[in-house]
Amino acid sequence: MGKIRGCELPEDLYYYAEKHVWAKPMGGSLIRVGMNTVAGKLSGGKLNAVTVRAKNIGAEIAAGKSVATVESSKYVGPVPAPVAGVLKRANEKLTADPNLAITDPYGEGWIVELESPNWETDKAGLLAGPDGLAAYKAKLEADGISCE
Amino acid sequence: MEPDKILIMMTSGPDTPRRCATPFFMATLAAAMEYEVTMFFTIDGTLLLKRGMAATIFPKAGGKSVESFLNEALEAGVKLTACTASMELHGLTQSDLIDGVKMVGGASFWQMSEGAKTVVSF
Repeated sequence: MGKIRGCELPEDLYYYAEKHVWAKPMGGSLIRVGMNTVAGKLSGGKLNAVTVRAKNIGAEIAAGKSVATVESSKYVGPVPAPVAGVLKRANEKLTADPNLAITDPYGEGWIVELESPNWETDKAGLLAGPDGLAAYKAKLEADGISCE
Repeated sequence: MEPDKILIMMTSGPDTPRRCATPFFMATLAAAMEYEVTMFFTIDGTLLLKRGMAATIFPKAGGKSVESFLNEALEAGVKLTACTASMELHGLTQSDLIDGVKMVGGASFWQMSEGAKTVVSF
C-alpha cells in the first residue's frame, strides 16, 4: 500500500484528487466510491453522519456533483462523484457507523456505487498508478496537506 | 435538472452567539447536497454581515468563530442577501457589509419564497 505524506493511498485505486475521493471498478460498469485518507484527515475528526439523498438513488449524477455529504463536529462537505454515473446504492453500514468512512476508508467504509458505462474513457480524468500518485504527492505538497 | 432551492431567514445576531453557527452549518450542508441555497439576513442577523463583526462572535468558547462558519457557507456557494429595512434599522450601508452580499427589499423575500422548495427561519 502506498503512503504519501503519511496518507495511505493504495496504488490500485483511481483518485479524484481535487476532492480526495477514490474510485474502484467492481466489474461490469459498477464503480465503488469512497473518501480517501486525505479527506479523512481534512474532516477534522470523527464523522457524525454520512448521508446520501434518497431521491438520488437511481438518478444520473454528473462528475463533480455531490453523491453524499459528510459531517463531523468541525466540518461539513460533499463527496463528489469522481465520474458520471447512475447512483445505484449507498453503503448501509454507514448509517449505523458513519465513522467507518474514515477508519476503514478502502474497505467497509465505502460510500456509494455508481453505474458508469463510460468508465473506460472517463477514468482518464482521474489520477492512478505510480505517475498519478506522484502527481497527487505534488498536489499535497503544494496544498501543505499531510496526514502525519 | 434544476436544483431545488432552499431559503434560510436569519434573524439572530451578535446578542445570541449560540444561535449563530447552526444556520450557516445547515446552509453549507444543503449546498453540499446540491441545493441552491440563499440566506436572507434581517432584524439582528444583518449585523453578522458587518465587516469584522463575525470574527468577534464565538458560538462556543474556544471554538470556531461565526466568520469561519460564514466563510464555509460562501465557499460552498451559498448566496447572501441582506434586508434593506434592517440595514436602516442598524444604520448600515452597503459599504459597511462584507463583499458579496446582495441588498434586497422585503418583497424579495416573498418572491424568493415562492421559488423555494423549503424556507427555514432561525
